[in-house]
Amino acid sequence: MENDSMRTDGVAKRLPTFPWRTEFVSDLARRSVFLASVGLLALMTNGCSSDQAQTVPVNVDLTFEPAEPMVGDSKVDLRLTDPSGNPIENAAVTLEGNMNHAGMKPSFSELSEQDPGHYSGTLEFTMGGDWFVLVDVEMPDGTTAQQQIDVPGVKVP
Amino acid sequence: MTVALTSSNIKADAPSPGAPDGARQQRLRTSFDVLRLPLLGRFLRWRYSRMLLQSCVLLLSLVMIGHAFWGPQLAPKNLAALLTWVHFRGLVVIVILLAGNLFCMACPFMLPREIARRIHAPRWDWPQKLRNKWPAIILFAMVLFAYELFDLFSDPWWTGALIVAYFALAAITDVLFRRASFCKYVCPVGQFNFVCSTMSPLEVAVRDRDVCGNCATKDCIRGVHQEATSSKDAFTKGALPLVQRGCELDLFQPRKRGNLDCTFCLDCVYACPHDNVGILTRLPAEELAYEGTRSGIGTPERRFDFTALTIVFAFGALLNAFAMISPVYAAERWIADVTGLRTEWPILAAIFALALVIEPALLLGAAASLTRFFSRSDTPLLSIINRYIRSLIPIGFGVWLAHYGFHFFTGLLTVIPVAQNAAKSTGTAWLGQPQWQLGGLPETVVYPLELGFMSLGLIGSWMIAWSIASQRSSNRIALRFAPWAALHLLLYVSAVWIMNQPMDMRGTFLGG
Repeated sequence: MENDSMRTDGVAKRLPTFPWRTEFVSDLARRSVFLASVGLLALMTNGCSSDQAQTVPVNVDLTFEPAEPMVGDSKVDLRLTDPSGNPIENAAVTLEGNMNHAGMKPSFSELSEQDPGHYSGTLEFTMGGDWFVLVDVEMPDGTTAQQQIDVPGVKVP
Repeated sequence: MTVALTSSNIKADAPSPGAPDGARQQRLRTSFDVLRLPLLGRFLRWRYSRMLLQSCVLLLSLVMIGHAFWGPQLAPKNLAALLTWVHFRGLVVIVILLAGNLFCMACPFMLPREIARRIHAPRWDWPQKLRNKWPAIILFAMVLFAYELFDLFSDPWWTGALIVAYFALAAITDVLFRRASFCKYVCPVGQFNFVCSTMSPLEVAVRDRDVCGNCATKDCIRGVHQEATSSKDAFTKGALPLVQRGCELDLFQPRKRGNLDCTFCLDCVYACPHDNVGILTRLPAEELAYEGTRSGIGTPERRFDFTALTIVFAFGALLNAFAMISPVYAAERWIADVTGLRTEWPILAAIFALALVIEPALLLGAAASLTRFFSRSDTPLLSIINRYIRSLIPIGFGVWLAHYGFHFFTGLLTVIPVAQNAAKSTGTAWLGQPQWQLGGLPETVVYPLELGFMSLGLIGSWMIAWSIASQRSSNRIALRFAPWAALHLLLYVSAVWIMNQPMDMRGTFLGG
């Protein structure tokens, strides 16, 4: 009983779990706090404005059949045009479907060109919920573009 | 039934009459001791082992923070989101099930806290009125709420901000207040781990109680101070610098019972001058059958904050899983239609109030009323609830295991391509090209595991409830047990129903 609430004075004065000299540790600690502060400041300034989206020189029009995708294979139609609205022919188009939750294996699909600028194929949605599709385009001249398209609320049959 | 819950290798306190060495044998704990293992035991007994483990996890945390803010803002491709919401959560509950509270042992928040304490020594004691679990319970509920409201599972930036906030909160709390105030009173992850670890097979405990009975220094709680070099020093020994901390969570080893509030820091192991503290095996959930005072905690059966913590733990397990299936969106839409609300937070708050306050109050009140009726007693309902509430821990732990285990096992290998992708973003693919085809175990394999976890939880809850029902009277045990068994069964059936629903992980409200 006598020891249950026993206090230990001096705990904060000296923490022996560090094997190094106190002066060195104090100096290291001050430097660490300074660096951490600079890091946090950087987070607040740069991290906030971090933008992964790329400006792409293509327009992507992606539609699914059924229009509201359901779990399973969905037919995909994609129309690819340049900023002037001209169809982009002979591009290699791949889709990568991901859930917005981490830890899910992505679905991939390669689309084939049906008409000039019109590509189609299938993409498997393995689970209900919010998805996004990354459209990767490799132009005939070797340049590439990527666009992200959200596919919210994939239904469960 | 109480006997069945007491492992055979743990001797009771009472000496056996007639045997010459009976009393001594009864006070010896003869179970398997991890600290006696050749390599692992030697490593753990090394006083810097914890710092080494913490450093590794801290390094990983810094990588996660960096990737959260500067990596791709797509959760499936971001290490912070993936490791936090899939691997870390899954590993915590699985390691607690198989061993003990090893996350707290390797907690990365403690190293910056130690460095901060070198700069600014804490001067205050934690306020008397806050020496309970309420601050941590509120934070626990807030984290669960924020997780759903802000869809943290799909947001790397906010996941990183949450990790940074944790580091800051731990450092600030422990720079201001002495001892392990953050761990004991504030940390919601710690409280979750403490409750889970009542189900662990390992416990930091005394090997031989006789040794403690003869110990004059009590270093396991006081700590070890520098040797006195003069008579004046000897007189003021308590003020001499500390060379080894004692338990900062106020758990006095000879009177410690179970894993509640134990962070596995092993300070008591290093401080004990008699090498009398070990990491010993025991029967999981054994401590839940114990009723009475525990060192550093008091009597949980008389503390409503422990009841509230268990309610958030057990009913929060169901709520957290329920929020990932379609019916929750139907419920939100229904509330929105009825109330005309078009913002999510009040609707979500209503669902949380229903799941964590109203539903538990009704169910626990009903079970306690029936128990009181069958007992023919006039015991206050709250006292009955406080006594029986710990029987909800096994089923709650089973549901957490099933839910977190599902994400962990189905996404087990996804960390490989995500790490490869992160390495590739540095300029060279030094971990190889991302192997995106790697996933995890198929759902058909994971589902039986989920059922197994929840079924074991149900059985554990029934055993604890029976034990509690039989502690104070041998009459009408089955009748006192029945309402709680029915409650556990109801929770189990609800959990099985939830786990059988197709996963529908949406971050969009009313947008479908």
